[in-house]
Amino acid sequence: MKIQKFCLTIAILAYTTFCFAQSVDSVSIVRKSSNLVLSYNSSLIYPGARMGVEFPVKTIYITSINRSGKRRDFTKDRFVTSNISWYHHPAYHDNLYFTAGWTMRRTKAKGFFTEFSPEVGISRTFTGGTTYQVDNNGNVTRKRLAGYYYALISVGGGIGYDFSKTRQKPFLIFSKFNILMMFPYNSTIYLRPAIEIGLIYKPSNFLSFNVKSKCLNK
Amino acid sequence: MSRLITAIFIFLVLNSCQKENITVGTNVTETFYLDNNGASMRILVEGNTSGKTFLIFVHGGPGTGSYFYNTDYISQNIENKYAAVYWDQRNAGASQGNSNGDDLNLPRMTDDLKKVIQLIKYRYGDDAGIFILGHSFGGLLTASFMTTGDNQSLVKGWIFADGSHNYPLNDSLTRQKLLSVGQKQIDLNKNTDKWKAIIEYCNLHTGNFTFEESNQLYSYATDAETYFEKVEKINLSTLLSEDPVKFDWPITSILFNLNYSSNANFNRDLANTEFSSRLGIVTTPTLLLYGKYDFICPGGLEEDVYNRINTKDKKLATSPISGHNIMWQDESFFCKEVNAFIEQYK
Repeated sequence: MKIQKFCLTIAILAYTTFCFAQSVDSVSIVRKSSNLVLSYNSSLIYPGARMGVEFPVKTIYITSINRSGKRRDFTKDRFVTSNISWYHHPAYHDNLYFTAGWTMRRTKAKGFFTEFSPEVGISRTFTGGTTYQVDNNGNVTRKRLAGYYYALISVGGGIGYDFSKTRQKPFLIFSKFNILMMFPYNSTIYLRPAIEIGLIYKPSNFLSFNVKSKCLNK
Repeated sequence: MSRLITAIFIFLVLNSCQKENITVGTNVTETFYLDNNGASMRILVEGNTSGKTFLIFVHGGPGTGSYFYNTDYISQNIENKYAAVYWDQRNAGASQGNSNGDDLNLPRMTDDLKKVIQLIKYRYGDDAGIFILGHSFGGLLTASFMTTGDNQSLVKGWIFADGSHNYPLNDSLTRQKLLSVGQKQIDLNKNTDKWKAIIEYCNLHTGNFTFEESNQLYSYATDAETYFEKVEKINLSTLLSEDPVKFDWPITSILFNLNYSSNANFNRDLANTEFSSRLGIVTTPTLLLYGKYDFICPGGLEEDVYNRINTKDKKLATSPISGHNIMWQDESFFCKEVNAFIEQYK
């Protein structure tokens, strides 16, 4: 059994080494600006907004040549993100939430990109109507800014277009579908879908960081 | 500076959502919340508040939420005369909170209902006339309310619609009805296989029901009314077809709350709960409604309440075409009886 496991490990290693050989052409450290994100954060039909910053972590430029000899260039960017978001659901609640996340973006040479971003954060809701408390003697008082704090996890995926690739414009447009999960919500969870449509602005120099940049040939 | 402006803007937007609006009129719609022991419970007041007569729907479940009761028919036939109050109990509908499962129990919910009534009187005046309508599990909750302290002095009338005030009696009556009706259906050669399975189960489980047996009887009772063509079929999908987007239903909250509450541990405590022995203290006018084809809360429960309450102002009425959901399955009968009762005792 041990021999079988050993052989299997060797086989996997050999397969990944020889079949997906990657040669790192260059590794460098470049100074990159952070991006600013602004989007309409609709919870399907309910309005909302979202602002955030994408802090660059890593960029990998990949060139691959397929069997027919066709060359494909694309870029993989990794960001740490910080966001403040809000949506309004009439008569239910307003939700203001702060998240930190990890964004993985893959951009083709022509500028089209896909991305995936898990986030964690904290949510503060505000109940959707005047909120009262009644004591045991029947006295009624209004509770100001009534609502709850929840832990929040968000997972989202989206598509977009990077105008800096072909038109040298420093912005991207995107659309993204997110699922929010808040807990503990009435001792259980609360799920909410949200659709984002927005703009990412790439300033030339805003909260710049030294970022590892790799070029890979597959 | 811009940060400060943003912060002020957000504060104002959020605070404006919680501004106090109290409307007196004939076509009112306003939502507010009652915060009590870890739960913020949604209360929607709709209809005619100018007459100062309020009908509070105490929904079933536990956990069903009150959205489903707010139908077009009720809007057109009850809300035009009185104000309907749709209250989401804790852990139901749009009600919100954190880890509040420990507070999901009947005494706490009874206290919630009392505070809902006190809040209605605070908003619309002490002279507001309140009627409470308990459906299914809401029957148990309203029975608890009516037999606790001096609570009944807060209401002008009690409406008990397809309700249950005594779960052990409920199980026995459900079993008896399944047996008697089931045998008649077999004799008529209708749904023979399904009824045979039900009768077989009922013959094997004769009394002192466990929680699991009680759940199985409930399941058979739910199926049983669907075997009669004249009974309109009601399930979650038909209830959700009421245009939830138009009316801003928080659908995932409704579904997760329903799932949590209907499986919560306190349902085991309810299995042995009864208020028959305390009904003698009820002197408030009472209307008892049930469907002929209700196997979940059979009419024997309403008869038990009718016989035990200590008032002559009481009426027992049966819908000939309804199952467990009289307000949806026989809307005209339901509204006619409710309106006549409120008109008499408001």
